[in-house]
Amino acid sequence: MKPSVELYEGTRIALSSLRANPLRTILTVAAVGIGVATLLAIVSIIQGLNASFAHQLESLGTATLNISRTPQISMGPTWWMYRNRKQLTVPQMQAIAAQSRYAAFVVPELNEESKDITSRQQTASGVDVTGTLGDFQRVGGYEMAKGRFITDADSDNERFVIVLGSQVAEALFPDRNPLAESVRVDSRPYRVVGVLAPKGSLLGQSLDLVAFVPFKSFLGVYGKRDFQIDVALHDPKDLDKAEDEITGILRRARNVPPDKPDDFSVFRAEQLADIYKGLTGALYGVAVAVGIITLIVGGIGIMNIMLVSVRERTREIGVRRALGARRRTIVVQFLLEASTVSALGGVLGTTVGLGLAKLVSAVSSVTAVVQPLTVVAGVGFAALVGLVFGIWPAARAAQLDPVEALRHE
Amino acid sequence: MLIRLEDIRRYYTVGEEEVHALDGVSIAIEKGEWTSIIGQSGSGKSTLMNVLGCLDTPTSGRYILNGQDVSGMSDNALADIRNREIGFIFQTFQLLPRETAQANVELPLVYRGLRARERHERATAALEKVGLANRVHHRPNELSGGQRQRVAIARALVTEPSLLLADEPTGNLDSATGEEIIRLFEQLHSAGHTLVLVTHEPAIAARCPRAVRLMDGKVVSDGPGAQVALESRAERARAAAAAVAP
Repeated sequence: MKPSVELYEGTRIALSSLRANPLRTILTVAAVGIGVATLLAIVSIIQGLNASFAHQLESLGTATLNISRTPQISMGPTWWMYRNRKQLTVPQMQAIAAQSRYAAFVVPELNEESKDITSRQQTASGVDVTGTLGDFQRVGGYEMAKGRFITDADSDNERFVIVLGSQVAEALFPDRNPLAESVRVDSRPYRVVGVLAPKGSLLGQSLDLVAFVPFKSFLGVYGKRDFQIDVALHDPKDLDKAEDEITGILRRARNVPPDKPDDFSVFRAEQLADIYKGLTGALYGVAVAVGIITLIVGGIGIMNIMLVSVRERTREIGVRRALGARRRTIVVQFLLEASTVSALGGVLGTTVGLGLAKLVSAVSSVTAVVQPLTVVAGVGFAALVGLVFGIWPAARAAQLDPVEALRHE
Repeated sequence: MLIRLEDIRRYYTVGEEEVHALDGVSIAIEKGEWTSIIGQSGSGKSTLMNVLGCLDTPTSGRYILNGQDVSGMSDNALADIRNREIGFIFQTFQLLPRETAQANVELPLVYRGLRARERHERATAALEKVGLANRVHHRPNELSGGQRQRVAIARALVTEPSLLLADEPTGNLDSATGEEIIRLFEQLHSAGHTLVLVTHEPAIAARCPRAVRLMDGKVVSDGPGAQVALESRAERARAAAAAVAP
């Protein structure tokens, strides 16, 4: 018997036997389908989360180094290791700007978190107020919706001007142009000179609930001296080289002896991505494991059904063998039956899984990303489950002695 | 010579006991012969039928079918021999219940690897030959017992085998229908087919030109059907008398 005929006839027999037991077929297809749907929905949603996170990170500026006295992210109670570190100074920042070949912009950054900003009638709460210089606009990748960003001259002259994030501007001036209006932060009046274009959110936190004031004005009000230096690079590819170079410049500027470790910390947005990947990677692993377990349960269902089917059709197998079917032909027939069921489950599961992913996208802020490879892998894996779990029943069918099989009641 | 069995033995082990189902059977059957194999249950006739049908391989001895020694053949080779050389007719018909008469008859041709069109033509012709041209699309449960056995005979004929092997073909039929089937066998015999019919009924053996009687796995007589049937009846009577004797 030619393999093509074997396949064709095997499929025909498989379909006819599946039609003969519709309820059984539907239940088995559903078992596999649920596994595939779970797997596909979870993978799509996590891939969606990853994609949106990557996008958000990009908007944060990946070609940026943040230098601070203490690490931005640290695990465990390690503050005592850093408390004797000296503050970063403006001359050190100027040294980086003067000496670094990779740095495009170097700016200081000071933050006061969760401030209330008030206009005459309205209040915006939870605003992150940053004191910085003109180039921060480039470092942070901010677009202006109205007016201008703060300038170095604003800082040098300690002007009380402010640039508002889009969300802040909307809260304070819902029906007016905010430019040239006056707002208060900690009872001190500032004149609005600009409004930023919306930036969206990162990990659920709004990037538009912000305000910027000149660096020296900020120092005058809050007296903070411990600032962070933000360095934007010409080329993101130079991140490693730039980190080495700037570390060297700072060590010299801060007179760190060669045998001592750095007394400052360099942070990259990339590290945030690593932490995120570590978190979702574990989630991803668990979710995929759950999906695979569900599929295996479905596979055991298939095996069970196939064993029942072989038992029920023992005589049929005997007849086929008596009429000239080889063992291999019987194996192919039952394997095709098992993989047809599971492939049907795969198609059903794919449809439902994609539907679920779409639904999640529609009702939540999470955008599910469906990659063609995921779909192919889902259906393929389902069919594979059918094949693997069909092998034993098919082998049992083929091993039946034709004489015994024909006598089977 | 179509069939030559030389000292065929088939031993089984049941528990710790060795059962000699066939104990040195030697028979020769010519092309075109109609032979019945008669014997009571336990005589070894079913085992002989399985060996003749290449469903079972003998423990020892040689079996030459149509010039080929099949006694030591591989499983695959035996499957091909069954497909090409043998047409089975079973007591319980052994039709696939979900398939139509047509599809049932086509089945051996599927395993031969014929194209659908040729299968279809040959199956239709075979069903016509057994008088079922108008039942082609019926499923077995829509057919009478006699019609089912005719479908099974058509299935056996469709491959044009060198041997038709019937196992108690009238056993599940009423006597009138059984008679129809025997007449059909007579027609097939006169058309030149080689028939081997396994039965326990002397009346049926008597209709065959030749009968081979088995007892305890051995051939005890081989001759014209009517004569062997008589012997078989006498043997039964003796056995019955012995059973009721005080």
